[in-house]
Amino acid sequence: MRLGRFALVFAAVMAVLVAVPFYFPQRYIIHICVMTALFVTLGLSMNLMLRTGLVSLAHSAFMAIGSYTSALCMMRLGWPFSVSFLASGLMVALLALVSGPIFLRIKGVYFILLTYALSQVVMLNFMEWVSLFGGNSGLSDIPRPVLFGMVFNTARQFYWMALALAGVSFLVARTIYRSALGTIIDAIKEEERLASSLGLNAMGFRVLIFCISGFIAGLSGSVYAHYMTFLSPEAFTGVMIDVILINVFGGAASPIGPVLGAIILIPLPELLRDAQEYQILAYGILLIALQLFLPEGLIGLCRRILSARWRRS
Amino acid sequence: MGQLLAQILVNGLISGSTYVLVALGFTMISGIMRVLNFAHGEFYMMGAYGVYVLTQYGLGYFPALLIGAIIVGAFGVVMERLIFRWVIGREVNGLIVALGLSVVLKALALIIFGPVELAVTRPVHGTLDLGSVSIPYDRLLVGGCAFGIMLLFYFFLTFTRVGLAMRAVAQDEKIAAIQGVRPSFIHAAAFGLGCLLAGLAGGLMAPIYTVNPTIGELPMGKAFVIVILGGLGSIPGAVVGGLLLGIAESFFSTLIDGTVSAMLVFALVVLVIIVRPQGLMGRSL
Repeated sequence: MRLGRFALVFAAVMAVLVAVPFYFPQRYIIHICVMTALFVTLGLSMNLMLRTGLVSLAHSAFMAIGSYTSALCMMRLGWPFSVSFLASGLMVALLALVSGPIFLRIKGVYFILLTYALSQVVMLNFMEWVSLFGGNSGLSDIPRPVLFGMVFNTARQFYWMALALAGVSFLVARTIYRSALGTIIDAIKEEERLASSLGLNAMGFRVLIFCISGFIAGLSGSVYAHYMTFLSPEAFTGVMIDVILINVFGGAASPIGPVLGAIILIPLPELLRDAQEYQILAYGILLIALQLFLPEGLIGLCRRILSARWRRS
Repeated sequence: MGQLLAQILVNGLISGSTYVLVALGFTMISGIMRVLNFAHGEFYMMGAYGVYVLTQYGLGYFPALLIGAIIVGAFGVVMERLIFRWVIGREVNGLIVALGLSVVLKALALIIFGPVELAVTRPVHGTLDLGSVSIPYDRLLVGGCAFGIMLLFYFFLTFTRVGLAMRAVAQDEKIAAIQGVRPSFIHAAAFGLGCLLAGLAGGLMAPIYTVNPTIGELPMGKAFVIVILGGLGSIPGAVVGGLLLGIAESFFSTLIDGTVSAMLVFALVVLVIIVRPQGLMGRSL
């Protein structure tokens, strides 16, 4: 019954979102929609980490790795898009699988610092390894994807592709949270020692989530690369903050949080395009204010209002 | 070869000593407040701008350095009272708030000074030639000042009442409070002092490099590596880690090149974590 209702709402929302380009055919509105859908995906990937009690500062680098992997697989190896797309996710998941057990050896904030160091090293490689990654000028003329004999070359097609990826990511995150795995990661986050004493391999589950999250981040990078057809290390600089801000703003306690966060925050800069440094300033102030006054985000606010109303009635 | 090694060692010690100044504040704040100050690099940046602005107004380099750093420290105290005291002990929240502050300070610097590279005139010129090793005087000055500041900081922590109180709060806040230490005062003082150290480092490096809104990112990245190497919250760890990092970088980048050096340093960090997860000087976890 509950599943039925969710499926209905989800299908209705997706149907509305799919129809957006028909009502707003302007190129730049569709561009904003593509970026929003990609950030929803990336935000959900970060949401998985936050739910497990981990903050990763490597997700901008993960997205970059996904982008470069997918682009290079098509350009250098001549692989079809479908294979390159999966390769980009697998590449990042593999990196998470190798680095996770090392980074998680020490508890607490070391993971954050280490993911930051990792992302610096990764970005340095993209900048300095010119023969492969093109250095600061990056890669250009990245081929457009071909799927089922259809060439993706309009923004509208990419919007549907990104929307599909965001929708699937949302379902994946929701399914994880509602499954036994979700209960396990909640237990590990809240009381690790108790969870371990019940025989749960806390480290193993953390690494698993890190890999799933990395996989999704890599996929979002792949779509980004083929949509832009141009990549440079510079494009990923602000992503680290954005992806955390999306979660903080929307509320990390629910997968709907980052979705709301991205839908509200990603179009904002496009509307205030002129005053870029003021926009960054506003972002920073927003991040601080939200964390101090609304630590559970929009979702937390909604829940508080709803529960207050219930109590009254 | 011996000559080259000596030169590498001296270069490493000098660059390492400024890393230490940034890492000391960062590690102290995290030890006392359990807050990861991701805005620490921006306090470094403010120190550099402080020297630039004050020398523009005709102040000498050294007064500018000192006054600039004190202003940065005072600003740190204000930020602690305004923002950071609400997130003490909650590392993830503290991190996000600090990230926000870092973004704000960088944007402010960009608005006020623009994205241009500003130069601060060097207080000293020439090169000290010791036969086998030659050191530019400005570098020597930076290294000398940095080691002097480290020594002062050590004496402050070891022999003054406030220093003692800081160490007490770092060890156990509740017990320290029972002994009559006011943790809120210590938090503000430690945060301010940490920012002051970062400001000094920024001011010291300003004449050597140019000043722009993003100069804080590099030393902050180094500070992260140092605290992982030395152990988060450990003051001796920050010194050992910082000097080690400086020497390792100088060694790798002279003999191989800068990018490979960064990769090797990262590999070194990973190795330390595998062999000794609590860091070189950290308490066992």
